[in-house]
Amino acid sequence: MHDFYDVREMHGYTTAVVYDNGEIDEISTHFVSGAAARAIVGGSYGFTTADDPSKAKEAIETAVRLAKRLDKINPRKKISLAPIPKRAKDVYKIKKNPADVSMSKKQDLLRSIEDAMRERDTKGLLKSTRLNYSEAYSHTVHYTSDNSRIEYDTYRTGFSCSAVAGEGGSLQVGRRSYFNVGGYEIFDQCNPIELAHEAVDEAYALLNAKPAPSGKFDVICDPELAGVFIHEAVGHASEADTVLDGDSCLEGRIGEKIGSELVTVHDDPTMLKYGYYPYDSEGVPSQSTTLIEKGVMKAYLNSRETAAKLGGRPGNARAGGLARPVVRMSNTFIDNGEMTKDEVFEGVNGIYLKGSRGGQVNTGEGVFQFNAVNGYLIKNGKLGDCIRDVSLSGNTLRTLNNIVRVANDLDFHSGRCGKAGQGVPVGDGSPHILIKDAVVGGSS
Amino acid sequence: MINAKKLVDLAIRLGASDAEVYASAGKVITVETEHGELGHAEESISEGAGIRVIVGGAEGYSSSNDPGKYEDAVKAAIVCAKARPKDPALKGLPPQPTKYPGVTGIFDQRVADVGLDQCVDIAASMIRAAKEDKGASVTAAKFSSIVSDTVIANSNGINVEDRETVVLGYVDVIIKENGNVSTAFDYDVARSMTLDLDAVGRRASKLARDSMNSSAVKEQVCDVLLGPYAFSDLLESTLLSSISSENVQKGRSGLAGKIGQQIATPGLSILDDGLLAGGLGTSKSDDEGVPSRTTTIVKDGTLASFLYDSYTAGKENRESTGNAVRPSYSAPPKVGARNVRFEYPRSDVLKETKGGIYVNSVIGAHTANPISGDFSVECRNAFVVENGAMAKPIKSLMLSGNVFDLLKKIDGMGKDDRAVGVVISPTVRVKEMRVTPGA
Repeated sequence: MHDFYDVREMHGYTTAVVYDNGEIDEISTHFVSGAAARAIVGGSYGFTTADDPSKAKEAIETAVRLAKRLDKINPRKKISLAPIPKRAKDVYKIKKNPADVSMSKKQDLLRSIEDAMRERDTKGLLKSTRLNYSEAYSHTVHYTSDNSRIEYDTYRTGFSCSAVAGEGGSLQVGRRSYFNVGGYEIFDQCNPIELAHEAVDEAYALLNAKPAPSGKFDVICDPELAGVFIHEAVGHASEADTVLDGDSCLEGRIGEKIGSELVTVHDDPTMLKYGYYPYDSEGVPSQSTTLIEKGVMKAYLNSRETAAKLGGRPGNARAGGLARPVVRMSNTFIDNGEMTKDEVFEGVNGIYLKGSRGGQVNTGEGVFQFNAVNGYLIKNGKLGDCIRDVSLSGNTLRTLNNIVRVANDLDFHSGRCGKAGQGVPVGDGSPHILIKDAVVGGSS
Repeated sequence: MINAKKLVDLAIRLGASDAEVYASAGKVITVETEHGELGHAEESISEGAGIRVIVGGAEGYSSSNDPGKYEDAVKAAIVCAKARPKDPALKGLPPQPTKYPGVTGIFDQRVADVGLDQCVDIAASMIRAAKEDKGASVTAAKFSSIVSDTVIANSNGINVEDRETVVLGYVDVIIKENGNVSTAFDYDVARSMTLDLDAVGRRASKLARDSMNSSAVKEQVCDVLLGPYAFSDLLESTLLSSISSENVQKGRSGLAGKIGQQIATPGLSILDDGLLAGGLGTSKSDDEGVPSRTTTIVKDGTLASFLYDSYTAGKENRESTGNAVRPSYSAPPKVGARNVRFEYPRSDVLKETKGGIYVNSVIGAHTANPISGDFSVECRNAFVVENGAMAKPIKSLMLSGNVFDLLKKIDGMGKDDRAVGVVISPTVRVKEMRVTPGA
């Protein structure tokens, strides 16, 4: 039997335009190419990258040599891989190639967003603005020693804007962005001017916001923060490599009820959101996975190796650039419930938390912490004072059980997820949800 | 290594008034665990070049990791520059200095010579050390050795080369016993082979062991001892962003206009030291070829200087402090710290503390508000301190406050300096911080 290897060859470019305070801060184009080769010998992986894709053959030899050596000096139980399922795949085709749009047109777009932020600054509090446009293209070829071979193109395009407003020595920042898989058509999916206004409104609201209280509250999370919760706290603990590492609070829970019946969670790389991919980085055609159905843990996310070990389906091994594939999420979301947003708020006394400044999770102990962008005190379902610098923390399983209302307004946000030192684009989604007895941290 | 000077000349021939090439080539060997045991070996050699040009008074940038595309990248950088209007604040690229300082301890031939077998031995030994506690499992462990060469050449005659090595070891452990779960990590990173990674393995499992059977504490305001990880993390996303001249000039720093004012406890000095022997941010020059130096950011509690690269310095008609930093060749230089260190009377802060809380590390520090300095983070591996010793582990604790406020409330620093990112931090005692029980 021959040694197993697989290879990813990539060619691509990224272009970025950055405006700072209305002036161009950076225009750059970067060319990226290379090949990543992975080999398995016994229980060992060998891995290498080469900047020049035409050197893929040497890379394969290096990967095999590394795997052989590691297997010899540090033998481990043999690795087997689940087969690559055969599935017909329609790869998303872009509608408008960003490379065909002139640089001056892209600059015009950014200037119109900048102008919209200035117009919205009715009180003259805006101290600085920053705008970012980026387009990224990559052509990927993936082949294995088992004669499987695929080839596809991916484009990702988008923009972000941030507004810093200041008053009386206090500075606050508001941000909005829209990124999606696709070409220049992504600007038809969003309203950049409205998003620019929202960024300024957010900075303004934060200037008037009060420090948040600390303690246990009934908390309503907006789709962005709830999406971050489901990604960070539940999604990461559902990654089968983490489960096999013994570092997941969801280990051994398949078939068990782990959350409220209102909670259904999917990971769907076939949706045209930021985490879309037609094939994963092991060449497996993408498919949707239901992680939790009505509160019952249904499946983990798998690579070919973990699928063979745990009996799941492969398709979630992703790599940042030329790095090695690891088990990752795609578009992860809490599915719609049956209530309207208004019904979720009805009669609630607590805190409404909006947006996310990021967060972290300890998957082994099953605890998380996220910072909201801002929030509002809620009295009998009505929004009161705006609050800022507020965090939500908790125990993952307890929080899943404490979700008592789920709205029907599912919405996605784009982000980059970091794991194993690699970043990959992901979509996080959720409707508005109500969590009872959640731990809120503030500084008042 | 590429001929950087040749690409600079090409850019000038193609119409650039100024041009700079930053190229790096590196070799990395990494061994890593797969499900608790070493199962992954990587060895890669990579190189790339970033090209910065000025055309018509505006800057353009491009990069490539494909030597066949370096000339395309020069052309792309020129196209980018031409798309911009003249930038009146741009004073050109840095001039050729009369000389570069000597720096020591950033290259170790033993690291450059290391092979896969030795890396496996080192990593396996670290994992064994972590598992000396029979209840501890290793969830992730990694050892890397890196050797890299950098060359910076510009059209003002700068042509500076440096050779550096880095080794790092990381381990993550979990203990599960009788329904209790406890985790801890530790790592160490250095320029030379002198790392004691067995000690790293042992420290991680001891910390996880000591953190077992934790209990909650009540909300309180008390003295808090922030371990090197916790203190560095809190400073990185707040103070370090505020001392960047770029953020100051663009209205994004909470310290703007505060030069000469007291911003920290008297007696505390904070320095950025690009010359620190063996420092992870040490090299002859910064990432645009300006000679490295030491800059006093805070002197005896008073804000003394921000950090500058040649562009932000040009805006204020002053000299660069040698703080142009790039994460890789693919990014244009930005203002960044090199090695941040503290001068303050050192003592055994734990032993001196009658009552309080010790926090080993925090999660969520990057969510702090970089401008206002407000933060609210979850503590990991926190302990109640009683009579100069760690008395009992604390279950889930939130720490909140404001970094600028915290700098004024420092009243002790330990002797246990550790390099964490760009900050070299000891354990730091801060008076009167608010802690609240977590989930």
